[in-house]
Amino acid sequence: MIRPAPEEKKQWEEKGYLVFENAIQGEDLKRLQTAFDYWADACKEEWLDRVEAGESVATFYDIPNPLEKDPIFIDIIDYPSYYGALMEFTDHDLILLGPQVRTVAPWPVSYTGWHPDVGHENPLHIKVQIYVNDVELGGGEFGFVPGSHKPDAGPYTRPMRQESMPGHKTFPGKAGTAIMFNSCGWHVSMDNHSDVPRKSIILIYEKRTPGRIGPDQYASISEYCQTPERRKLFSLDG
Amino acid sequence: MPRIDAHLHVFTKASPEFPREISDVWPAEREEPVEKLLDEMEKHQIDQAVLVQMAGASIANHRYLLHCLKEYPNRFLGIGLVPEGHPNPADHMAELTDNTGIIGFRFSTFGGPRDIFAKMDVREFAAYPIWKCAAERDYVLWLYPNAMNAHLLPYLIQEFPQVRVVLNHLAVCPGKGKFSWDALGRPQIQVTGYNLTMHTTYRLARFENVNVHLSGQYAFSREEFPYKDLAGWHRGLLTGFGVKRLMWATDFPWILEEPGYGKLTTVIEELLPGLSEAELADIMGGNAKRILRFPDL
Repeated sequence: MIRPAPEEKKQWEEKGYLVFENAIQGEDLKRLQTAFDYWADACKEEWLDRVEAGESVATFYDIPNPLEKDPIFIDIIDYPSYYGALMEFTDHDLILLGPQVRTVAPWPVSYTGWHPDVGHENPLHIKVQIYVNDVELGGGEFGFVPGSHKPDAGPYTRPMRQESMPGHKTFPGKAGTAIMFNSCGWHVSMDNHSDVPRKSIILIYEKRTPGRIGPDQYASISEYCQTPERRKLFSLDG
Repeated sequence: MPRIDAHLHVFTKASPEFPREISDVWPAEREEPVEKLLDEMEKHQIDQAVLVQMAGASIANHRYLLHCLKEYPNRFLGIGLVPEGHPNPADHMAELTDNTGIIGFRFSTFGGPRDIFAKMDVREFAAYPIWKCAAERDYVLWLYPNAMNAHLLPYLIQEFPQVRVVLNHLAVCPGKGKFSWDALGRPQIQVTGYNLTMHTTYRLARFENVNVHLSGQYAFSREEFPYKDLAGWHRGLLTGFGVKRLMWATDFPWILEEPGYGKLTTVIEELLPGLSEAELADIMGGNAKRILRFPDL
């Protein structure tokens, strides 16, 4: 586990985000990309059928139950390059809420407005977005308003166009880049003006509160969760 | 400011003079004529309306609509249909719009790739000639896209920013197999509790030429009038599109028995109670007059 450096802790507190370049690389990145592409392809037709039936969103696609599909999707939940920071920021009381293994269509199909995910009354809520392919500027990169996670920040309103958000910063990056952010902060997927769908994984965590995730939620992967730390992370012991 | 019902249907008995397709819901002997509509409009102070063609897309099938528009030129504007797979839609559209009062056309599929992640070339979409024609001749496109076509719509709107687009019935995109008729002869659309169109048609608010009907509530709601479970949908559309791009409509005649035409004239006040008088007037007719260019009374 790699603990965050003092300057990283300072940035997290003041800006509400951290970027981990090459967070996943080498063989692990290849495993992740291979599993992503295989399962995205294998499950796509079923998703399109659900879209046609009006039962699923038509602008992005999440591989269903990814943790049950390939162990690499479990391994990235507590991946060393960012897991230490997650633990530090949640006082070593971290739980996983869920992964989104997501392919997002390019502009003009996909369009997300600036938003925070949770309010300040929520327990600390953290997301880690991992790029599975290279995401260029204008290719659907993550956008964040530094400092917008603070209770006294703002007020913010959603602009008509992504690039009009005051004070925002965008995060193009290579495959394997991980961006950690406080979900109280205003964020977005910038418009993807390339013709390449953006592949990324969004891991959603929270500081533990009793009963937030039941022991059955991740029971199907318990064989991969033998250590006390993992059992706690996946709420397997209630 | 006029009060305008921006989407409804009239039809008469099937006859050689007014041929039309028939179905269980509109058998040959059923009629919901324009005079019946005018009675309801009179009773409830509605000044003008958009008559939308149904029961057939051929030129001949449009005769009753054309008759109504000719008889009441200041009261109504019309929306026509284009036969699917028509070899020359531009000719069909031109014939129907030659000083007739028909201002645009309604359809629900665009003929592009099913794969949402496929590379898109709008010029290869089956509906491209219709959109091109609409752009060249200033037609309004009246759209009720099915769920499998929602992802194609932004490509077309981006290609043709000059075309006035009106999304029907709360911009919902019905899913395959989710359509039925209820015991009162009303269309019913089964929708998910989570409003999926927030990710598709609601996002089209960023295109200034896209407008939305606040109508069809009876088809989606799980409640009786005033359909309070859809208040959030209305607020979402108001927030996204703004008060100047929303149009009230009843979808006559399906609503005559339940909840009744009169009740539907109050549905916007019920579901958007915070509107000012001026904002309500815009939705109840001002926007339709401006966007669809209704004649002065």
